[in-house]
Amino acid sequence: MSHHLFLLSPTDTPIYSLAHQSTKSTAPSSGSTLSSNLPSWSTAPFSGTLTALSGAQSVGTASTQNGAPKIGAGQDRHVIQMIANASLDVIEEMMVSNSAMYLKSIDKFNEWTVSAFVTPGNMKFVLLHEAKNDEGIRSFFMEVWELYVKTAMNPFHRSDRTIRSTVFDARVRASAKKWL
Amino acid sequence: MYTSGQAVVHPRLSVLSTSSLPSEHSSLGTASSTTRFSLPPSGSSTPVPMPTSASTLSLSKTPMTAVNLVRPNIYDRPLNKTRTSEVSLAAFTFLFSEMIQYTQKRVNGVADFERKLNTLGYRMGLKMLELHAWRTEGTSKAPKRETRFLTVLSTIGNVMWKAFFGRAMDAIQKSVTKDDEFMLIENDPAITKFISISKDMGSLSCSALTAGVVEAILDGLGFPARVTAHNVPTEANPNCTTILIKLDRSVLDREEALK
Repeated sequence: MSHHLFLLSPTDTPIYSLAHQSTKSTAPSSGSTLSSNLPSWSTAPFSGTLTALSGAQSVGTASTQNGAPKIGAGQDRHVIQMIANASLDVIEEMMVSNSAMYLKSIDKFNEWTVSAFVTPGNMKFVLLHEAKNDEGIRSFFMEVWELYVKTAMNPFHRSDRTIRSTVFDARVRASAKKWL
Repeated sequence: MYTSGQAVVHPRLSVLSTSSLPSEHSSLGTASSTTRFSLPPSGSSTPVPMPTSASTLSLSKTPMTAVNLVRPNIYDRPLNKTRTSEVSLAAFTFLFSEMIQYTQKRVNGVADFERKLNTLGYRMGLKMLELHAWRTEGTSKAPKRETRFLTVLSTIGNVMWKAFFGRAMDAIQKSVTKDDEFMLIENDPAITKFISISKDMGSLSCSALTAGVVEAILDGLGFPARVTAHNVPTEANPNCTTILIKLDRSVLDREEALK
């Protein structure tokens, strides 16, 4: 079970990202992927990306070793980033009318579910996850929010700059380990 | 987008640092020629100890303490409001007067002055909004953001102002003639209590700082607006200040659609 967290500034600049490999074993959400409806694109130069986008699981190194992060279909870094970015539209649409900060399961893409958290200062936390874990994700977001507020209180922090603090990173990782 | 390209700099965040470079030199030159007690005099007979020799001296005396000193981390400190975390008005006034003097050296004209104070306030407001929201909603099971303008306005005027400055706004009004203008009225704002504006400054209102705070709060919550501060002296309240909010057209359209 892997999780991907992105912190996006009000101008949609990514200021922090984290890939977390969960040790908790939860049944993966099964759903039909887009690939079943698409022809195979084996010869195109973009085949890796295209098969990844279509959700095909049979390509290259897609097999899941125990504990090791999956590489390949749907797990490529740029695909993950694209899914996170694409969900921004949904988030921005929802946050106009929905007053909750925690927007759970707002978007689905192949095996990924996207949950988001919008702070009052218009920071967006986007989390890609595979299994349903509403309560854990809520607790995780709340801890990340607290850490973010503490970062923002630092007069040297600017809201459009990446967070490079190692302590912040360690705290978020610890929190991810605890809740995800 | 996720590659480490040059990030788009938010225009509001860099006004103070970039636009005043040429004038900074001249002001620094005048400052160094006057005697200031916080700086060592330039032609003094007692040499200032070099930092390297000072540190080696202290190291040779107490070699272990310097190594074991660990600075408290900002992530270890709680964010909750305590009685000791309140700042006295005297301390704030001193800081604010320094801010005003710093700004005054770097501007020409009242409009520029107010714009820079507004920018300073904007940066404060971003932090204040986030912190205030965390203090009120941080323990909640389902934390909420405000999404309607009128609730936001009354929250700023009552709850937030009380949390920041100890007392709520005296009045919140809507403009009769224009539907996109709102006013927050404070009869005697605490932050300008000890400020008297000289005649040549005319219409300057140092509440431009709090106008910037309001602008940041509205911006953060998704209500872009232009916020300015104006002196509206009356018989009873010579310090009466109005913070005028002029909403962006998009906000009004959205409010209309949400009705």
